[in-house]
Amino acid sequence: MNKRQEQKVKTRKLIIDIALNQFAKDGLVTTRTSDIAASANLSHGAVFAHFPTREALLNEVIEEFGMRVTKHLHELVEENVSMQGILEAHLKGIEEYEEFYTRLISEASILPESARNTLIGIQSAISFHMLEVAESEMKSSKLIKMPFNLMFNTWNGLINYYLMNKDLFAPRESVISRYGQQLVNHFMNLISIRGEVK
Amino acid sequence: MKMCIACGMPMKTKDDFAMRDESKDYCKYCARPDGTMQSYEEKLEGMTDFIIRTQGLDEEAARNAAKGMMMKLPAWKE
Ligand SMILES: [Zn+2]
Repeated sequence: MNKRQEQKVKTRKLIIDIALNQFAKDGLVTTRTSDIAASANLSHGAVFAHFPTREALLNEVIEEFGMRVTKHLHELVEENVSMQGILEAHLKGIEEYEEFYTRLISEASILPESARNTLIGIQSAISFHMLEVAESEMKSSKLIKMPFNLMFNTWNGLINYYLMNKDLFAPRESVISRYGQQLVNHFMNLISIRGEVK
Repeated sequence: MKMCIACGMPMKTKDDFAMRDESKDYCKYCARPDGTMQSYEEKLEGMTDFIIRTQGLDEEAARNAAKGMMMKLPAWKE
């Protein structure tokens, strides 16, 4: 890579980082690209040179978020992880980008289709890790046998409800840091076969 | 880290690769039993079924999402 290409990659990365923060702060639907440009100390045109449309930028940002939010889950793959470990890793990823994630789930139904698909893809990656462990723990009678999609949706419904009502549950702090462990414990209680819960 | 060109999964260990062959660009889930890569149609079916099974989406919504995801992957671009 020559200097010019290197600079280009660097700027692109900078725009994505700044945009992630700006979208988290001002909302995915309402953040203006001109504000992202200003925060990045770039001209509006410079942003469009890297991302031809606002939607293209938003998609890249959601994708980048997806890579980061699933990082802890990917890292667990080689270890002999439990369902509880998977849930904790899921929350750890969300906690790092809690504001952005909350915007993403709150605005999901009004996002452009491509952004929506990216979110379903992220959920797919998360469910992939959860499914493997859930199946093995259902088989070994640690977890109650149930359709996996209901287990996955119940978990997401629980955490998303708290996040989307942050103003009621944790107005001045992180929802996950305040309730995360409690939600994990509660959910484990719901899905565990009695006697197996510590 | 290599990413599967057909489904986007990060391939961390040898076991993740098709035929446990690290020179391959696709993962074990995107390989047919003989080791060759699945076709677009096969992968679309597989991804749609997976989304329904794990997220419980409506079939048409799931297929639509799978198409959208595949559009961005190197193996199926344009
Ligand atoms: Zn694959």
